[in-house]
Amino acid sequence: MSASMQASQFLASVLEQTTPLLLAALAAMITTRANILNVAVEGMMLVAAFTAIAVGEASGSASLALISAIGASAMMSLIFGFVSIVMKADFIVAGLGLNILAAGGTLFVLEQVYQDPGGLRPEVFPDLWRVPSGALSWFPIVGPAFERQSVIVFLALIAVPVCSFVLYRMPIGYALRAVGEDEPAAIAAGVHAARMKLLAVLASGLLAGLAGAQLSMDRLHFFLPDMTSGRGFIGLAATLFGGGLPWATAGAAFLFGAFGALGDRLQTFQAPPQFVLMAPYIAAVLGLILSRVRAAARSRPARIGGRAT
Amino acid sequence: MRDSLQTLSRSLLGPVGAIVAVMACGFLLVLAVSDEPVLAYRDLLFANFDSRSNFALFVNRMTPLLLIGLGVVFSFRAGVFNVGGEGQLYLGAIAATATALAFPHAPGPVLIGLSLIAGIAAGAAWGWIPGILKVRLAVNEVVTTLMLNFVALLLTEYLVINGMRDTTAYGAVSYVLAEQAWLPDIPGLPGATIGAVIALLLAPLAWVALFRTEWGANLRAAGANIRFAEAVGVRAARQVVIAMLISGGLSGLAGAFYVLGIGHRFEQNFSPGFGLIGMTVALLARVHPIGVVATAAFYALILNGAGYMQIDADVPRSLVNLLAGFLVLFMTARFRRGQAPA
Repeated sequence: MSASMQASQFLASVLEQTTPLLLAALAAMITTRANILNVAVEGMMLVAAFTAIAVGEASGSASLALISAIGASAMMSLIFGFVSIVMKADFIVAGLGLNILAAGGTLFVLEQVYQDPGGLRPEVFPDLWRVPSGALSWFPIVGPAFERQSVIVFLALIAVPVCSFVLYRMPIGYALRAVGEDEPAAIAAGVHAARMKLLAVLASGLLAGLAGAQLSMDRLHFFLPDMTSGRGFIGLAATLFGGGLPWATAGAAFLFGAFGALGDRLQTFQAPPQFVLMAPYIAAVLGLILSRVRAAARSRPARIGGRAT
Repeated sequence: MRDSLQTLSRSLLGPVGAIVAVMACGFLLVLAVSDEPVLAYRDLLFANFDSRSNFALFVNRMTPLLLIGLGVVFSFRAGVFNVGGEGQLYLGAIAATATALAFPHAPGPVLIGLSLIAGIAAGAAWGWIPGILKVRLAVNEVVTTLMLNFVALLLTEYLVINGMRDTTAYGAVSYVLAEQAWLPDIPGLPGATIGAVIALLLAPLAWVALFRTEWGANLRAAGANIRFAEAVGVRAARQVVIAMLISGGLSGLAGAFYVLGIGHRFEQNFSPGFGLIGMTVALLARVHPIGVVATAAFYALILNGAGYMQIDADVPRSLVNLLAGFLVLFMTARFRRGQAPA
């Protein structure tokens, strides 16, 4: 195999690994900017992953499966929004509760409807639209990597500039960030804070729905209980590592995706796979520590008495 | 005393309401999916008392939930949102396993003592990291504890595979501990670990420490308003770190008890999410140490009861996970209105 083919194969696997992380990271980022630490992405993704397979099997339509997955995830996000914003529950507890609900609910339906707690594996499953092979081979290395990639991969890549544009170039984005930075001030300026937060949560539900759908219906065409296996949290980690900025967050997601793709090939390096899998979580903690150290250094003259709280 | 009784009854009212509401919804669901809804619910709630062995399993299930729940109470009361029970549990379990395997010929009491200390220390160390990061750098502890959970799971998997793995067993499983390292059972209740008794004794101890000592008052003051506490001379940052040490230590102890008393070896994935359930146990009890005994018992009851329900009435046991999720959503919707800190 030529070096350029190997490179584009690796790039393709980075893209596949990154897509769910990138979408999860953007989902967490949107709510983070509205000052909601969103741990519920994991549960939303899981429900979407399940819905995609269940609807795809029943209807035979990939687009219907994708839309249903996004819809189901959006429903979950609205439950999350209702409990945490309208009922004023603690959003971390509510988010963790939503994750328990998602894991329990999907397992319950698997057992009750499909009589199989092990998973849902349709014999035939409709495939998503993909870039035809050979269509991009004129572009060296990068082109072949995008061939055979599904529409979700492209949606994920487009989502980054879209999020950035909405957050920084549109009034709704200003309002959302204002609520996140100083809610009383935003309210005083006439921003409907609760509505903004709910909107952020709904947006995160849509993005998490895409992430979950990609996980189950892009390549695998089956659903396993708990198949998200912490990817929602890695997305959250990427957001925090990226400081809540769209491009930095996307960069972090690509970094973690590349780690994942590398982990698949690291057997050759004899590196323990556990340490490779740990990387995103440790990176998130280190990223947070660094950002706090920077913040502490910046605010030093203004501090009285020594310790930031 | 009357004052504390009032607190207790007030802290009971909301949770009981949430439980009743969720269990009622659950019954409607069972009605829809089962031909024998009454049998299903009888099993869910009472099959744990059908035989001594069922009851022993119930006791074993309750023990880690109770210990982790108590740990969460300490951290929450100090204003630390510790979601890291799972990681601290695994660290405690692996440390206890490693210690017990390292001295296979030591006499039983010494071995058990050392292993328990190792488990507590490892859990406490894992809790110390987010604690110190919070007070020194104001790093959000929710994130660090969540992330450290995953690190702990992977780290223990690595440790058990590279050094303690029983190659005759399937998966990431350690060697079985020497028999003198096994915790004794509760007298008259074969199969139920004595760790449960210790956990039950720790609950009133935790209450006294938190609500009847100056130390506990300082800890709660740090949790209520750390700046104010510092301003009036409480060494609040120190209290927060100590609370996290205790919180992690109790979760670590839960892991050690599990290994020494129930599993007798370390198994990857031995915990069906004890950490997260332990946190909901504490929240449902309105972060009250005595209430935690009741809520831990309730969760253990339905978690084990679900198994019997599945066998007898053919209702999926995951019904309980579904209900547990709803329960968290139901009770959190009222959580902020209570006076308990979060």
